[in-house]
Amino acid sequence: MAVEAVGEREREPGVLARLGTRVLEVLQILGEASELFVACVRASAFAPVDRQRVLAQMVRVGTDTLSIGALLSLFVGLVLVVQSADQLRDVNEGVLGPIVGLAMTKELGPVMMAFLLAGRAGSAMAAELGSMAVYDEINALRTMDIDPVRFLAMPRFVAATLCLPLLILYSDFIGVAGGAAVIGLDPAIKISVNEYFARMLEWVHFTDVIVGLVKGLVFGMIASVVPCTFGFRTHGGTEGIATSTTAAVVWSFILILVFDFLIVRASFSF
Amino acid sequence: MADTRDSRRQGVAVELTGVRKRYGGQAVLRGVDLRVEPGELLAIVGQSGTGKSVLLRQIIGLETPDAGRIVVGGVELPRYLATSPEEKPFRIAMVFQSAALLASLTVGENVALRLRERRRHDEAQIREIVARVLDQVELAGTEDKYPSQLSGGMRKRVAIARALAVDPELILYDEPTADLDPILTQQIGELIRRIKTEQGDTQVIVTHNLALARAIADRIAVLDAGRIVECKPPAELGKDGHTLTREFIRAAAFGIPGGA
Repeated sequence: MAVEAVGEREREPGVLARLGTRVLEVLQILGEASELFVACVRASAFAPVDRQRVLAQMVRVGTDTLSIGALLSLFVGLVLVVQSADQLRDVNEGVLGPIVGLAMTKELGPVMMAFLLAGRAGSAMAAELGSMAVYDEINALRTMDIDPVRFLAMPRFVAATLCLPLLILYSDFIGVAGGAAVIGLDPAIKISVNEYFARMLEWVHFTDVIVGLVKGLVFGMIASVVPCTFGFRTHGGTEGIATSTTAAVVWSFILILVFDFLIVRASFSF
Repeated sequence: MADTRDSRRQGVAVELTGVRKRYGGQAVLRGVDLRVEPGELLAIVGQSGTGKSVLLRQIIGLETPDAGRIVVGGVELPRYLATSPEEKPFRIAMVFQSAALLASLTVGENVALRLRERRRHDEAQIREIVARVLDQVELAGTEDKYPSQLSGGMRKRVAIARALAVDPELILYDEPTADLDPILTQQIGELIRRIKTEQGDTQVIVTHNLALARAIADRIAVLDAGRIVECKPPAELGKDGHTLTREFIRAAAFGIPGGA
C-alpha cells in the first residue's frame, strides 16, 4: 500500500527542472520589461497631452528623492575627501579635486541617485501598481478602453527618465560642495579650496558629465520600467504586492549595475 | 452619448457557444452555451470556484477563451475588442467584485474617468453626467469624497455609477453584493432592477446569492463544473431541475448565508 501511495504521488521537480523553471521566469520577466519599455516609448508621444499626469509623477519623484539625495551626496562627498586625503597625504593631495569630480559625475552620482530613485520612487510604483492589479483597478481601466500603459506606466517612465539626469547634476553639485567644505574646514588637508576646484576643472571634462547624464537617462528608464513591470504582473493579494515590490527593487539594482558596466565599456570605445 | 440617450433603447444580446477555458491543467469552463436576450437581466449562480467570474471575464474580453464563440450585439467579440473606442457600435461596462475604484481619484473623478479620457465631452457636460448618475445610485453630493471615505455598499454604488456614466448597452456585475449586509444587498438589487426598468440595458449578474437572483433576475442560469446546467425564469427554477439547483434552493430555504 505504501509503495502504491508513493507511486501515485506527483514527482517532486529535480534540480534541473527547478533551475529551468527559474531561467524561464527570468526570461519572461525580461521579455515583459522589454515589451513594456517599447510600449512606454510609443506612449510617450502622448506625454504632452497627458502632461498633468507626467508633472504629478515628476513632483512625486522629486519629493521622494530630493532631501535624502542631498544628504547622501553630501556625506559621500565628505567621506570621499576625508578617505582620499588620508591615503594621499604623503603623495599628492592635489588630485583630491579630480578624484571627487570624476567619481561624482561619472559613477557615484548616477548610480547613487538611480539606486535612490529605484528604492524610493520605484518601490512606490511597484506597490501602487501591484495594489491596482490585485484589486482589479487595472482591469477596470481596460474595460473602460483606457490603456493602462499610457495611463499608468508612461507618466512614471517619462518622469523618471527626465528627472534622474537632473537629480544626478544636483547630486554632483552637492557631493563636490561637500568635498570642498571638508577641504576648507579640515586643517589636516593642506590644499586650498581654490586648488581643489582648479585641479577638478582641469581633469573633469564636459564629456564626463555627459556620460553621467546618459547613464541617468538609461537608469531612469530602468528604475521606472522594471517596477511598472512587476506592478502589472502582481497577483496573490497583499503578499503578492510585497513580493513584487521587493523583486522590483532588487531587479532594478541589478539591471542598473549591468547597464552601468555596459555604458562605461561603451564610453571607452569612443 | 450619455446625455442624449434614448430611454426606450434596448440592450444588446450576448451569445456564447461552446466556450472553454483552462488554467494549467484545470478546465474551468467546459463548453458554456448561453444566450442573453437584449434588455434581459440574467443571473448566473453557482458554487464558489465554478468559473462564474471567469465567464464574465471572457464576455468582456479581459481573458480569451481557449475555444468557443462569443457574440455580443451581433458582433464577434474579438472584432468588437479590436475596434477603436470611438467606432464601437455599443459599450460594455463591468462592475467588479472589489468595486475597483481608483483610490487616488475622488468619486467624481472615478465616475468621469472614461468620459475625460475620451475627450468627447466638455467639462460642463461631464459634471452634469456625473451628477446625474450619482443621483441615480442615490449618492448625490459625494463627488469630492475619496473611495476610502466610503462604506463597502457606497463603493459598489459608485462602481455602478461609473458603469452607467459611459451609457453601456451591456453591464456585467461580478458578485455585486459580496460582503454586504442584507439591507445593502437589497438596495443594490433594487438599483440593478431599476436600471433594467428605466434604461433597458442588458445586465448579467454573477452571484452565489440565490435569493437576490430570484428577486431581480428575468432568468437564472446555474453554472456547475464549467457548464450551464439549467437556465430558467426564477419561478420555474428547481422544477425537475439539476441536483445543484435543488441543493441551492434547499440551502436558501434553510437560511444559509448567501443562499437565503
